[in-house]
Parts: sequence; structure tokens; C-alpha cells
Amino acid sequence: MSIELAGIHKQFGSFAALKNINLTVPTGELVALLGPSGSGKTTLLRIIAGLEQADQGSILFHGQDTSHYEVQQRQVGFVFQHYALFRHMTVFENVAFGLNVRPKNLRPSAKVIEEKVHQLLSLVRLDGFAGRYPSQLSGGQRQRVALARALAVEPQVLLLDEPFGALDAKVRKELRRWLRQLHDELHITSVFVTHDQEEALDVADRIVILNQGQIEQMGTPEEVYEQPKNAFVYNFLGNVNLFRGRIQQGRVRIGSLEIEAPEYAHHDDSGSIISYVRPYNLEIERSGHGQEYFRAKIVHIRAVGPTAFLELKREDTAELIEAELLKERYRELNLKIGETVFVKPKDLKIFLEDYCI
Amino acid sequence: MAGHIALRQGTAAPQSRTTTESPVMRWLLIGIALTFLGLMLVIPLIAVFAKALESGFALYLKAISEPDALAAIRLTLLTVAFAVPLNAAFGLAAAWAIAKFDFRGKNFLITLIDLPFAVSPVIAGLVFVFLFGKPGIFWPWLSEHGIKIIFAPPGIILATIFVTFPFIARELIPLMQAQGTTEEEAALTLGASGWKTFWYVTLPNIKWALIYGVILASARAVGEFGAVSVVSGHIRGSTNTLPLHVEILYNEYQFVAAFAVASLMTLMAIFTLLIKNFVEWKVNQQAEKAAIHHGQTEDNHEY
Repeated sequence: MSIELAGIHKQFGSFAALKNINLTVPTGELVALLGPSGSGKTTLLRIIAGLEQADQGSILFHGQDTSHYEVQQRQVGFVFQHYALFRHMTVFENVAFGLNVRPKNLRPSAKVIEEKVHQLLSLVRLDGFAGRYPSQLSGGQRQRVALARALAVEPQVLLLDEPFGALDAKVRKELRRWLRQLHDELHITSVFVTHDQEEALDVADRIVILNQGQIEQMGTPEEVYEQPKNAFVYNFLGNVNLFRGRIQQGRVRIGSLEIEAPEYAHHDDSGSIISYVRPYNLEIERSGHGQEYFRAKIVHIRAVGPTAFLELKREDTAELIEAELLKERYRELNLKIGETVFVKPKDLKIFLEDYCI
Repeated sequence: MAGHIALRQGTAAPQSRTTTESPVMRWLLIGIALTFLGLMLVIPLIAVFAKALESGFALYLKAISEPDALAAIRLTLLTVAFAVPLNAAFGLAAAWAIAKFDFRGKNFLITLIDLPFAVSPVIAGLVFVFLFGKPGIFWPWLSEHGIKIIFAPPGIILATIFVTFPFIARELIPLMQAQGTTEEEAALTLGASGWKTFWYVTLPNIKWALIYGVILASARAVGEFGAVSVVSGHIRGSTNTLPLHVEILYNEYQFVAAFAVASLMTLMAIFTLLIKNFVEWKVNQQAEKAAIHHGQTEDNHEY
């Protein structure tokens, strides 16, 4: 079941939560809606579910317009951030709920329901928990019950709103891997909302990056990470160092640094630019010359694990930057706090100022 | 070891604070409280039953089984039977609207619900007289159609509804606000109709608070004097509720009979109190459950 959104617009009072969203989720894919808080990602998910109505635009499930369908008719499974389990019901009753509330002629027999519930509970690895109440479960267990409950009605589409947002880091990682496995088994079209770029890059087939109610970029994790369309996307997907500078006839000048920028060669006017470099793209040298290096003083070193993190202060602009280098290289250079080194940025992403956040 | 034990006692939080007071202070405070309770509550309670049974059990039975007393009991129960369900329906609707939706004038509605707490019951009664009584706004239309409200049971029921108006809504609003709407939304996405969502999800979650509200409203409906007194007209065997009946008997110097009926009301009150305590205990249990349910972020490490 594919999902197509066309021209979705949503207004809350004077605040435009979503502006002209066009999006296609192909059948069987796991798509992440990624964005900072207030970017409209949850609103978009709720509109797909029918929990919220769009002011304009249409939603098509498998080519069929469902914009005016009630929540109940959309056949979506929805997993809430805070689980929303029915607190007065046992795990079994929670999972069986969607089947039990069906009209008599569509309701499976009690025996079929029981089999189905136990099958789902073993799918989410909660056999033996059927008689417990939600308050007797841990967060991760609750979220898996919520997932089993959503799957019980055999939804066409699975929607998850920050499903792991309320869990601690370790559980979150385990659970999202497991969700990926589950998705690969069931192949149900799924959309999940997250503000965690790592989570999106880790599990999604496709990432939709939202900002201020608009889609900034869509693509596979590799695409959005390697070829960010604009400054916002680059900045949002991981740690970056920011350099402000000026551009003139294809040459970028940032402090004492001067770099060729052939992609802007046609750009005659001189203008201000913002450029980003990932910390692992900063090369550290003991000595260097030329305009591709700048000098910086080491202010802080954190050398835990396989990589060393350096905090450096540029000598030309006094700005703080972050660099990341492999442990071996770090040992080889024998760096100490307070020393001055030469820094060479590789793979600088340059964006003209008016594109920036 | 000793330190360990002390620590474990310390987990019973409320106790640890009182133990820091000196024993003298503690006993003094408890003594004052108990004396006050005895003077203001226990002695009057005993007095009611003592006076009621003063001339023997036979007279007591006669006092509460004579036709006027029975009529008063009947009217009181009728009033409760109308006022409480209507207020339960209203309270549910209002709490639902306030807790689950955002709309203009929400705070005004909350204030309005509290109005009967602030207004004197006598004034509440007078308002109904002014609306439906002989000089009232609706009087011409009512008399034309032969409908009697003031000095008749409908007026008593109306006045009682007004006075007991906030009890159930007030119990439900904070609980429903705390619970939020996500469980209902979950039910809807699972295909449940609005009615089934209410019946299987909303109602079980508020059950004990609702019962608690009903008990409070019933107790007040049985005992209401001021508002009912104004609209009733004190017609014996017809528009007298139990409190009004007690007053009439008392004014006629029929002390034994007055206290007999009063003791009946007292028994009703004690009975309600017992149920109330049981429900309160249940509600607290549920609130604790809800608190655990909400504190989900803390206890997820044992996955």
C-alpha cells in the first residue's frame, strides 16, 4: 500500500504547521520523517492517520483518495510516543482490543483472537506477559505491546510517532534494530517520526527532512548524508564546523584560508557564504604552508575510544572548531593541549548566504 | 545495620516527619484534635440516636413509618434519583469537553461550574421561584399549561440539581485532564467507534472518580435544606423532603419523632461515608497506577 500526499497544508491559528507537502511513500518501504521539534513532522503523521485534518491537499492510499475517511476507516496502525496503552486492560486485552471492537459480523471468534494475540506477543518477544498490566512493564516492553496492538488489526500502513523517544539510549538502539528486522519480515509500508538523525540514518529506507513545515530534502540515507541539498540538511545530519566567508569568482576566502570553489565559478558577484566541514574532514598537521591551511591552538582533547576529539581555536578568527581524528594518527602527532597546529579542511560544503538557516 | 533499618523506616515518608516532633507536642496536637472531634461530632451523633431512642424502639419505628415520614423519604429518594443521574450525565459531558478539547470560553465554563459552590443555597432557591413561581418570568406560560414547578417536586429536583451541579464535574475534570486523549486516539486508530471508545476506554479509566462524585452529589442531594426549603412550600406528605420534615417536627416540639427521622438521615450519611472511604481508597490506588503509568521514562532500563 503506497501513500501519496499532494499539496498538504495545515494551519494552527496564525501558525502554518505544514506548507504544501508533496510526498510519496512507496509500498513496503520504511520512511523516516526527520526534523527538529516544531518542524511539522508529527502533524504530518497525524494527518496521514486521520487524527488531524489537513486544511488543503489530498491523501491517497494506493491511489485511492482517503482525505475524507474517518480514522477508523483508514486502517492504519498507529504507535504513540508514550505508548498510549489502555491502562486498565491486560497486555492480552490491549492487543485483542482492535479485534474485539469490530462489529459482530466482522469479528473473529474468541479462539481465533486468542491465537492471533499469542502469535503477535511471540512476534514482539513478550510470550508469558499476556496477563500483566501496562504498569508492570518496562518502557521497551510497553512499546512492543503497543506495536503488537497496532499490528493486530492488520493495518495497511504502520505509523510510528517518535516510537523510541521516551526510552533510554541503549534500549532505543536495540529496539530500532529490531523494528528494522520486523519490517523486513512483514514488509508493511511504514512511516516513523523522529528528531534523532542517527535513528533515521540507521533504519530508514528513505528519509524525509522537514523544517518549518516544509520538506527540505528526500532521499536514501546515503543521498541525504552525502549530497545535502542545503545548509539546513547538512547541519542537521551530524556534527559540523561552520565557517563564514566570502566568495568571488569561484574563490572562497575564509579568514586566512583560500579555496577553489569551481561550482560557483559562474557566480560573478562577490557575496558572503557559509561553509560546513564535518569534524572528521579536518586534517591536522604539525607543519604546513599555503593558503589551504589555517593555524589553530588545541584547547581541549578527549581521547576515549577509537577516535580522538579535539577542540581547537583558530588563530585568525578566534572561532572554536571541532576535529576528529583516528587514535593512531593522534598518537603519531603526539598532540598536547596548548600546542598550535595546522588545520586543512577537506570536502568543504559551501552554501550561499541566502540559502542558509 | 542500625543505619540500614533506620533508612528503611525512612521510606515511609509521612511518618518520618511526625517523628521529628517531640512526643509532648505530638500528644498535645492529637489530644486537641480528638477533643474537638468528640465535642463537635461524636457527642452530637450519640445525642441524635439517644434522643431518637429515648422513648423506646417502638416509638422510634412509628415515627419513621408514619405516612408523612414515608412520603418525605419517598420524595427525597425521588429527588436523588433524578438529580444525581442528570448531574452525572452533565458532569461527564462537561468534563469531557473541558479535558479533551480546546475551545474559546473554556475557563469561563469552569468558573460557571463552580458557581453553585459560591452562591448561597437560599439564593439558588429564590432564583427558581423568580423564574417559575407566581410572579416569575415563565409563570404565565406554565399556568396556562397547568404545569406546577414551584411548591411541587419538579422545583425541588431543579433546586437540588443546581446545588449538586459541580460535584461530579469537579471530580472528573482533573483526572481526565491528567489522562489526556492518547488512549482514545489509540482506540480510534484501532477501529473502535466513538461510542465503543467511550465505553471501553474512557469510562473504565474514570470509573472510580465518577462513583466518588456520584456519592458526594447523592449525600448533598439527600441533605440539602436551604434551596429546597425556598421552593418546597412545606406541604406535608407532598413537598417535604427529609430535612424539611425534621425541621417541621422539631418546630412542633415532636422531638422524639424529629430525632428519629434525623437519625435515619444520619445512618444514611454514615453509610455514604463508608462507601466514600472505600471508593477514595480505590481512587488513590488508581491514581498511583496512573502515576506509575506516566513515569514510564524512569523504569525502562530492565528491557
